[in-house]
Amino acid sequence: MSARADPTLMKEIGLFGAADVSACFNCGNCTAICPLSKGDTVFPRKVIRYLQLGLTGQLEESPEPWLCYYCGECSATCPREAHPGEIMMATRRWLISRYDWTGISRLLYTSKAWEIGLSLVLGLIVVMLFALLHGPVVTERVELNTFAPVPSIETADWIVAALMTFFLLTNAGRMFRFTMRGVKAGLSVYLSEISTFFVHMLFQKRWRECHGPKIHWLKHFLLVTGYLTMFFLVFVFLPWFQTDGWNVSSLFGYYATAVLLYGTVDAIIGRLRRREEIHKHSHHTDWMFLFLLFSIALTGILVHVFRVVGLPHATYYAYVIHLAVDAPWLILIVPFGKWSHLLYRPLGMYLVSVRARATSTAAAGGVVPNPV
Amino acid sequence: MSRDEVKIGVYICHCGGNISDRVDVAMVAEEAGKLPDVVISRTCMFMCADPGQELIAGDIERHGLNRIVVASCSPSLHETTFRSAVVRGGLNPFLYEHVNVREQVSWVHASGRDATAKATTLVRAAIARVRHHEPLSPIKVGASSRALVVGGGVAGLRAALDLAGFGLPVSLIEKSPKLGGRVEGLGTVFPAGESGAELIRTLVEQVSAADEITVLTRTHVTGATGYVGNFSVTVSRDTGNSSAIETEIKAGAVVVATGSTPYRPVEGEFGFVRFPEVVTLPDFLRILDQARSGGALTVNGRSIRRVAFIHCVGSRQIEGIHEPKPDCSLNLNCSRVCCTATLKAGSDLIERFPGTYVYDFYRDIRTYGRGHEEIYERASADGVVFLRYEVGAPPQVTEAAPGDAGSMLVTVRDSLTAGMEIEVAVDLVVLAVGMEPAEVGALAQTLKFPSGADGFLQEVHPKLRPVELAVAGVVLAGTCQSPRDIEESCASASAAAVKVAGLLTRGYVELEPFVARVSAERCEGAGACVSQCEYEGALKVVEAEVDGQTVRKAVVNGALCTGCGACVAVCPTRAIDISGWTLDEFEAMVDAICADPMEVAGD
Repeated sequence: MSARADPTLMKEIGLFGAADVSACFNCGNCTAICPLSKGDTVFPRKVIRYLQLGLTGQLEESPEPWLCYYCGECSATCPREAHPGEIMMATRRWLISRYDWTGISRLLYTSKAWEIGLSLVLGLIVVMLFALLHGPVVTERVELNTFAPVPSIETADWIVAALMTFFLLTNAGRMFRFTMRGVKAGLSVYLSEISTFFVHMLFQKRWRECHGPKIHWLKHFLLVTGYLTMFFLVFVFLPWFQTDGWNVSSLFGYYATAVLLYGTVDAIIGRLRRREEIHKHSHHTDWMFLFLLFSIALTGILVHVFRVVGLPHATYYAYVIHLAVDAPWLILIVPFGKWSHLLYRPLGMYLVSVRARATSTAAAGGVVPNPV
Repeated sequence: MSRDEVKIGVYICHCGGNISDRVDVAMVAEEAGKLPDVVISRTCMFMCADPGQELIAGDIERHGLNRIVVASCSPSLHETTFRSAVVRGGLNPFLYEHVNVREQVSWVHASGRDATAKATTLVRAAIARVRHHEPLSPIKVGASSRALVVGGGVAGLRAALDLAGFGLPVSLIEKSPKLGGRVEGLGTVFPAGESGAELIRTLVEQVSAADEITVLTRTHVTGATGYVGNFSVTVSRDTGNSSAIETEIKAGAVVVATGSTPYRPVEGEFGFVRFPEVVTLPDFLRILDQARSGGALTVNGRSIRRVAFIHCVGSRQIEGIHEPKPDCSLNLNCSRVCCTATLKAGSDLIERFPGTYVYDFYRDIRTYGRGHEEIYERASADGVVFLRYEVGAPPQVTEAAPGDAGSMLVTVRDSLTAGMEIEVAVDLVVLAVGMEPAEVGALAQTLKFPSGADGFLQEVHPKLRPVELAVAGVVLAGTCQSPRDIEESCASASAAAVKVAGLLTRGYVELEPFVARVSAERCEGAGACVSQCEYEGALKVVEAEVDGQTVRKAVVNGALCTGCGACVAVCPTRAIDISGWTLDEFEAMVDAICADPMEVAGD
């Protein structure tokens, strides 16, 4: 069965940030230089080729984009300046939109107006909800838990978390189906490789195989630890974390804030300077991601500072703004946007190792002893 | 000059190591120096360089040398160089003998001992031969100043114009009713993108305005006789009412600009003939040229949105893979222009009909010329999608199912996608057909033009004599010689014109003196030589009065004789010899080789 070429895909991928896929003349320098491209998963050339030919099905089934950590060496050495690294990035965005069955992803990635508009609407909804539903405003001293009682916030948190998880998991389910199309693997194979998923999710181990300075990995790793810390503080330890007094969880909050602020500011400066390959190309969703994450950390620490200093109004306003930037983050960026790489990337690596093990087992089982 | 006055100078060239790395040149010189009458025997790092040449000229003056032998590279490279040096020393240029100890010795023998032995033997033979050399003079023949240009395409027009520019009268004949050839139908042409028709119009206007040029259309050659300076070419002009007028054109030289024809795919080759959606590149260029830009290109009422181009159709064919022609031949050559022409057509198509998708199925892309790579760049930037096929697995062209994105399917094992089988739905398939030599006809047959294995006319030497045919006075212009683009065709046409002008502006031509000569004493007029002679008019038997008796003697026309020696071999009285290549010389060489004490023996 031959694969059908579709000439429209190249134009479509342009919307996701790959400016010049047609510049590539398939020499394969990128694949040769990439330290992560090996074995059965070779890239970027193959991925670019699928794009050029418009092999939508093959591309959907490709986990390769998730195996790339964008060190940018391929772009730096590309003789045609086709920016293979950025093409891989755009393909990841495209894949996110393909995994997403709601179509929201595609809307956010292909339209600045939708991305900004929806974010604003969600922020405004939060502001309006507070305007209507906030608790008593104590002005003598800061009583955040009176203004926004933890149980209500926690309930809202969990509703959002449930929704976000639902979309994320159903999308991940589609990714799983695409990637494992035509692969037969028993449950034992899936179980035996499960550690791969967590190792890559927590430590981005593969990134360390990239050429070039390890500092990019380290910065990202710190950002991940900060992010996960904050995640647990908000979703598990909120009653301790959102306190009007003092709790040891604040220390974790300081760490997370410091790391998030440093990480986002560093990335913003990098993207403005555009010196390194990894920072040379910025899609509007990259800016939104950084802007929201930076704003969340900033407003979060402001809430804390205002509370400690004893400024009730400032604390309450900062809190509302904090949640107003949280909303588009949690509702848009996490399940439908760039955040979802936290799930897709380790899942991609996990499925690749499952696939490899399944095929090697099948091959070993299929060996017939030579009767001669 | 009597034999005892012979003074021979022998020079062995190192060729910077090319020769001396294998051949012990000092030893060869020493051995040669021992031979009688060898006055000087030297070696030199580079004989062809000025000091080497000066050495010869100087030694002739200082030592009164009257025979020179140089052992160096192939005579086709430097024989004339050393003849000139001999002339500068004050000797007749034909008192010179050249020995090839590079191509025939140092480059082909692994053993230094054998190489040295062989070089010594060859030099001995040359020394033996050079004793017999006599002063010779080139044969001077009056020449017609008219040039005949055969073929009125871009190369023929260019050559005719350049010849007219030298003030030479030109007859330009074209077999079709109209000057212009194939360029006219190409639309805009690479690399600059000017109109082919405009280009031809300019040239034709200039040709019509030139008083020196006589144009004969609907005219073809029916036969030719003669030799450089004095060709007589009969041409037949079709008058249109089923009668033809035969005329004779007397010309000093002939420019062959008969061009090429596009390869015509056989029925079924990539669906050709079987499907009307499959066309050749020249056909497509004509369609494109006549279409109005904007919207979608329309072919036979069908709107064309997706087009496949297939490269190397009828070019670079391989035995065992491609179907040979009825005469069992294959087009082994690359047609050179089709890659760039195809890419340009793809780009033009996309740019003139936005929204059209172009797929390019290639074996290799050879955009070799100046400005050609830019056309590749443009095609790539325009979004042409490239797919590469291996020679053994060409794309398959089939009919698509009704309702598909195109009416044709092109399926290929794409080596750029790890050999994956890719299927592309298209509305039109364009075959980038190669060039085949056009029929040259009677001219080639009567003047015995040599052609290469590819069927194109073959020059004497691709670098040393790139536009001349082995038939003296006949030069080549354009694609009759090999596939080439317009730029290259015009360049070769201009070169051919200059070559002809150099020949004809003097009013006479000089021919090599290596032609047959008859000894009047020995010839008995048997005529065996005449019946053996391949060249009409070169030899004949005439009656002459000797001592009151009428005798028959063979007479040579030096201008027509090629010095082949067939007559020498059959003469019962040994009355015929070739000047400069006499039987005495051959015997002396054979004797020298046989008498050589340094036998060439294997280790």
